[in-house]
Amino acid sequence: MRGSALAGTGHTAVVTGGSRGIGRAVVDRLRADGGRVVTCGRGARPDDLPGDVLWVQADVSDADDAARLLAEADRAFGPVSLLVNNAGVQVEKTVAESTDADWGLVVGANCRGTFHTCRAVLPVMTEHGGVIVNIGSISGNVADPSMALYNASKAFVHGLTRSIAVDHGPAVRCNAIQPGWIMTAMAEDAFALARDPEAARRDALARHPAGRFGEPADIAKAVSWLASDEARYVTGQFLTLDGGLTAASPLAPGLF
Amino acid sequence: MKLSGKTAFVTGARGGIGRAIVARFLREGAVVHAADLPGSGPDGAQEDGSRFVGVDVASEADVAAAMAEVRERSGKLDVLVNAAGIELEKTIEDTTLEEWNRSFAVNVTGTFLTCKHALPLLRAAVAGAGDGETTASVVNFGSYDGFLADPGLAAYCATKGAVHALTRAMACDHGPEGVRVNAVCPGYIDTPMLQSFFDGAGSGGDGRSIEQLQDAVRGVHPTRRYGTPTDIANLVNWLASDEAAYASGQLWVLDGGMSAQAQQMRL
Repeated sequence: MRGSALAGTGHTAVVTGGSRGIGRAVVDRLRADGGRVVTCGRGARPDDLPGDVLWVQADVSDADDAARLLAEADRAFGPVSLLVNNAGVQVEKTVAESTDADWGLVVGANCRGTFHTCRAVLPVMTEHGGVIVNIGSISGNVADPSMALYNASKAFVHGLTRSIAVDHGPAVRCNAIQPGWIMTAMAEDAFALARDPEAARRDALARHPAGRFGEPADIAKAVSWLASDEARYVTGQFLTLDGGLTAASPLAPGLF
Repeated sequence: MKLSGKTAFVTGARGGIGRAIVARFLREGAVVHAADLPGSGPDGAQEDGSRFVGVDVASEADVAAAMAEVRERSGKLDVLVNAAGIELEKTIEDTTLEEWNRSFAVNVTGTFLTCKHALPLLRAAVAGAGDGETTASVVNFGSYDGFLADPGLAAYCATKGAVHALTRAMACDHGPEGVRVNAVCPGYIDTPMLQSFFDGAGSGGDGRSIEQLQDAVRGVHPTRRYGTPTDIANLVNWLASDEAAYASGQLWVLDGGMSAQAQQMRL
């Protein structure tokens, strides 16, 4: 059966941006699932990365780097059966404030990066079967203020996800996860900048029906499921993981 | 005048939004049959030129009788607007079965009944035009709350979600007959229903006055104001008109951009 690489959860996986945060949680989970994991980042190998994880210093916004990442993964562990596009950057600006450099940074990492790695892995996955999980965002559906290029870049990721599912099934399944507020260093920074960080945290928490913010492990669990045979009929879809945030109206909680 | 020669039937015609729609339709040259609860005011010919008929939209006998009157007086119906609706401010735990059933009876069953009994008249309007182009238009009232939940409005949210699905289903079934079906999904619109919502909120969950509450709600809108019944009537008028001849099966959110944004954290 074509797609035999999908059997079980022991994937040969490439996770972009696995040095910390969501990416690292995905790396850890895929290892625990029995996978062989490759991850990458623009910097040097993090000291705390487990020894059996292959680190490739690569900038996915560069097409050659992305191709090299996939080639090194193939050389080390064989055909890649799971690609998780997690690497991303955000710039907190409106359209009027955004420079060409901001565009290059955000579109480079979030859009071109996802495109480059998908393009590089598709020949292998078309032959052996495979799963792609892109990290989109709720911000690709509803606008966070002063995040114009980021919001738009995530909508691109959603559109690309559907297209890959349509064009490259049945050998390849492609889905996206849309995280809401996941407590990473990036989110902690946002609270730290608030006028009253504690009040901001309380207000944000009250908007989450789940009663808490997301954790990187929440996303990693969803990646693990989407990558597994349990999800073998799931493709072209979006899994929103936001603790119910976007199910609620944006009115201030407790207003009425 | 965009609606000259057209006959329209508007439910909830004595509510905030319904009044604005009736007034606009009359200005655009339509013959307007205005419906609201029996006893809500004088029946028959009105000063504004519309004709009022008392109808509980949840009663099939009422709806059938009203449509028979439309047939007798106008012989056809070009535009049906289902603006009648009620809002119940409760969680499901506090909602009695009777309240739940009444919410569905007015908001969902009422829409079903008017559409069902209007369809022969809507087809008659299409056939009567005889040009193969003229369409009839049904405009249902969904809500922003059919997409996103406001707290303590469970039955209301559920009825509006049902109206959205019914709108799409009817568009599929009756599009080939020349009947277009759309839903308008208002956000916060300055109506008696909204004022009652604010009044019911009393001083607000955090001790703010109603004025402060209203300012807070306005502030959440990218447009920094609520909608007005006129805003809704502008859209309903367009959907009713031949300008919207290709618009069908859609849920038109009119909320000042409120649901385009993510949660407005107070950072």
